Amino acid sequence: MSPEDDPQIDAPAQAEGRGFARWLVRGAFLLAAGAALWPGWDRPALAALVPAASPLVAFSALAATWTLEAVGWLGLAVAAIALVRRRWFCRWVCPTGLCADAAGRLGRRAGLRCPRLPVLGQWIALVTLAGACLGYPLLAWLDPLAMFAGLFAPFGPRLGPVVWWSAVGVPAVLAISLWMPGAWCGRVCPLGGMQDLLAGVTGAVRRRLAGVKDRAPAEPDGWHALQGRGSDLPVTTPFASLRACHSPGWRMARRAVLGAAIGGVWAAMVRAARAAAPRPLRPPGARPEPEFTGLCIRCGNCIRVCPTAILAPDPGGHGLAGLLAPVLRFESDYCREDCTRCTAACPSGALVRLTADSKRLGAIGLPKVDMGVCLLGDDRECFVCRNSCPYEAIRLVFSEVEYTLTPQVDAGKCPGCGACEVACPTTPVKAIVVAPQ
Amino acid sequence: MNRRDWLRALGLAGAAAGLAPLGRQGAAGQEVDQASGFESHTVAGRTTQANRASPALVGGKVVQPQRELPVLNKTDVLVVGGGSAGVIAAIAARRAGAQVTLVERYGHFGGLWTGGLVLLVIGHILKDGKQVCQGIGEEMMRRLDKLDGAIIDRRPGVNPTVDAEAVKYVMVEMIQEAGVKVLLHCWGVDAVVNGHTVAGAVFESKSGRQAILAKTVVDATGDGDLLAAAGAEFEHRTHNVGLVSRIGNLDRVDPQQAGQAPKPRHLGSPTPVPGVNWVNLHGPEVDGLDVETLTRMEMSHRKFIWQNVQKTRRTPGYEKVYLVETAPQLGVRITRVLIGTNRVTVAGVKAGTRVADAIGVGGAAGGSHGEWQIPYGALLPVKVDNLLAAGRCISSDLRMADLVRLIPNCFVTGHAAGAAAAVAVRDGCRPRDVEVAKVQKVLRDQEAYLG
Repeated sequence: MSPEDDPQIDAPAQAEGRGFARWLVRGAFLLAAGAALWPGWDRPALAALVPAASPLVAFSALAATWTLEAVGWLGLAVAAIALVRRRWFCRWVCPTGLCADAAGRLGRRAGLRCPRLPVLGQWIALVTLAGACLGYPLLAWLDPLAMFAGLFAPFGPRLGPVVWWSAVGVPAVLAISLWMPGAWCGRVCPLGGMQDLLAGVTGAVRRRLAGVKDRAPAEPDGWHALQGRGSDLPVTTPFASLRACHSPGWRMARRAVLGAAIGGVWAAMVRAARAAAPRPLRPPGARPEPEFTGLCIRCGNCIRVCPTAILAPDPGGHGLAGLLAPVLRFESDYCREDCTRCTAACPSGALVRLTADSKRLGAIGLPKVDMGVCLLGDDRECFVCRNSCPYEAIRLVFSEVEYTLTPQVDAGKCPGCGACEVACPTTPVKAIVVAPQ
Repeated sequence: MNRRDWLRALGLAGAAAGLAPLGRQGAAGQEVDQASGFESHTVAGRTTQANRASPALVGGKVVQPQRELPVLNKTDVLVVGGGSAGVIAAIAARRAGAQVTLVERYGHFGGLWTGGLVLLVIGHILKDGKQVCQGIGEEMMRRLDKLDGAIIDRRPGVNPTVDAEAVKYVMVEMIQEAGVKVLLHCWGVDAVVNGHTVAGAVFESKSGRQAILAKTVVDATGDGDLLAAAGAEFEHRTHNVGLVSRIGNLDRVDPQQAGQAPKPRHLGSPTPVPGVNWVNLHGPEVDGLDVETLTRMEMSHRKFIWQNVQKTRRTPGYEKVYLVETAPQLGVRITRVLIGTNRVTVAGVKAGTRVADAIGVGGAAGGSHGEWQIPYGALLPVKVDNLLAAGRCISSDLRMADLVRLIPNCFVTGHAAGAAAAVAVRDGCRPRDVEVAKVQKVLRDQEAYLG
């Protein structure tokens, strides 16, 4: 009998008291996370803390870039504790888990039960980490903390149908949990799976140190650990038939190899496909394109903290790999000279932390002028792009041949802030448009 | 015969020539050439120029001897420059009760608006379509509205285009109605100064070098000629110097043939005259104060304009297009810019800074942003007294100068300078000591918009 079929599993009598304490603690964390993500705050770095607490995000960023932003150490700390306290994060902290639990209770009350499922979460985590090693963490955006952050996207300055898409993660988790109580946290969640993998490593090491034979009792999987019980219960793995003849260590190794293979091939395919697709404008500090779409966990933090609302989730116009990743549009405003909020709010390292000075060095893009549209080509008295440039990067050069002025952009000075594009008076097409480099 | 009598005689002769129909007996005592119908008479026979003070070559250097200048008149407010800023400054000061003399270098009013053929009235409308240029400038526009063929595109949120001749006519009408004393063909060349205090200005004209004494002087020369002469601090800038032209018969372009070849460049924009476009020209960025440069620009642009129209005429369908005229005035955009006690800056405009001493509100080119207030201090030199700047030379930073120099914004600063000069005269104080609230009241009474 699998644990999911056990009607008593969510309410063991001895866990009642501790359960209440957990609800309280997790409730407090949920409120804290919500407050950190609330758009009214002028603290983008606080917003970064929430998704950054995920070890999956931290490991992916580390593997993909071989660097770690300061905020990434939070995820590593969570991972370190998970090595010894299995699934402690799910039980005591995870705000998405709290919501999923609440939904699961309702589902169970309605008589719904979870069917047998493979440990998808571990596979997702493995595939993602393997992809990350190749510079493309494939499914990091399934991270529950990223989804929780995405929930706040509609409260930001930018609205629209695509913003609502960014917020569907948590409602989807709730729906899964309602329909199949316990399935998300126990089987699907990559953060849970990641913790199981970490605990698996500890278990293997511990057994080896203790000299236990390979045929030792199986390691309990995430679901049991989540419920704080059942090291004596049988394990559910994707390869149940093989379970009998292989130790947990073997299973771990096999999963790792298979996951790495799948993740590697997949990441390579996505990277190849990305290279052909047109690259949109990304926020300042964005890593080079294939890496960026892979590192970005779609938490929506950058979109929400952007004071000029020029970031929006990509509705999919630039290939599937970039779906819901932030794209930059200079429709109504430009990227302010002194603002680096999006980079401060990024938990995954997809956006490199910038200062106002370092932002000037890396360009978002470079403006291109269409003299067929530009008013100067028509001898009109327009000096708007030159005069609106905060960096004095545009010169209007007189051509003796054409006998007119042409805007010329100094690529060394221009950070691609889009002030010229916003100010350009031509409609409906702007004569000067910042193009990705 | 002294100079005044000579002038009077010249004026009489001119009036007689203008009024007397051909062949009719002229005024009593004048000789009439019956054969041709023209008349002419001698003002002074066999004479030499009185009061000569020609420079002499002294040791290889040209030295101007010291001399006394005749004082043409004394006035309350002297406005130097009859462009869009100067004309409105003169009307504003006169309507506010001051005696006003306006001197203009060319034979017409309007400066670059008319003589420069910059016919597009751009810079008075904001992003949301609101018009910020009101007051006497708007009154002028309303008079143009009433004339046939004087102005087109007068709709909310749109930049209208005027006819230069209509503007010249309306300006004469308004100046005369206001009762401003006018001297045309008079080039203001120097300031009369007492230390740091301006007491008038000096002019060159066919009547020679003369002075006008005034309690307050408004520099509406565009180039800040008087500011520089009086010793005020300024920035000397370069900008694009072009030459506007008008081309005609665009209504006779054959649309069927015209579609076959690429459309010619430099066709310009419509004017109130049917089939006639005005063609802007940017020109290179040069020093508009350097006479050699101005000469080079004039000749180079003239050649280009003629050759370009010929090129246009070789384009199928455009054979009948012709060059109506090139502008009498070179399109000098920015030269000297005053360093005032305050300054219009991009940073201030971006931040939406409100100023207590606002004497006007500027608009945008192409309606690209919101309104910006112009502080009184932008018209005031730091050290020099009794002198106010108006028009494109008021104190502004490099970028705002491109908005300050636009015609409606010159209306606004001209209006403010005229009102301030009149208040200074009325209160018997220096322009820097006037109560700005009083200037603001005069401006509001004259229907200006101050934000």
